[in-house]
Amino acid sequence: MSVRARPTSPHLQIYRWTVTMAMSILHRMTGIANYAGMALLAVWLVAAAIGQDAVTQVNYIYGSWFGQVVLFGFTWSLVHHMCGGLRHFVWDTAAMMEPGQREAIAWATIIASVIITVLIWTVFVWMA
Amino acid sequence: MRETVITTETIANPKSHYGNAKASTRHFITQRVTGASNILFLALLLFIVVRLAGQDRADVVSLLGQWWIGLPFAALIAIVAIHMRNGMRETLEDYLAGSTYRLAMLLNTLFCLAVALLSAGAVLKIVFWG
Repeated sequence: MSVRARPTSPHLQIYRWTVTMAMSILHRMTGIANYAGMALLAVWLVAAAIGQDAVTQVNYIYGSWFGQVVLFGFTWSLVHHMCGGLRHFVWDTAAMMEPGQREAIAWATIIASVIITVLIWTVFVWMA
Repeated sequence: MRETVITTETIANPKSHYGNAKASTRHFITQRVTGASNILFLALLLFIVVRLAGQDRADVVSLLGQWWIGLPFAALIAIVAIHMRNGMRETLEDYLAGSTYRLAMLLNTLFCLAVALLSAGAVLKIVFWG
């Protein structure tokens, strides 16, 4: 399949920011972050398959403050991308596309993703 | 390969057959079917990580080693890799063209293949050989 050069948008700075545009960009950014983040899962699983020494090392890195910050970000990125995907499923049925509705569903994705992420970490990490 | 820039006229004209009808439809359907499957993946991932975060290898083996957990997990990881490759293709198509695009797609395929083979392979190793 040949891919031709596509027209690119003018620089982002010339646009007035809208929430739908911000969520579109975030959906792509979180997709790329999840893409890279899957390597973290691969490293952990491979370490578990190799042996206890490897698991101990991975646990040390992932359990450090930096590792925890990355994993918190990865959690939010996964949850946000899932919420964005659910929003796209709604839009695929041509629902929630009118002015006001599309902004509402865009706000709902970011609010839901933050709440779900904080809830996961509160219940399973901070209070566990 | 000479790169022709797509103009708004090309896109607006239905006779220019902008885009590949079959491949684009397949891409669209694939991304939605794998995306729906990824909701299951996230639920299982959450269950597994909550149980196993910071735990020893023996704990990982005792949970993932159960075939009804390990086998679905390995399959869902493979589906995630398809979604990753498809999604990254969309991004690459927007900014690259011609041979740069093909090189980037090759690297994309290799990365997704590596993630799928290493992760699912590690899980299968734990399921079948402990």
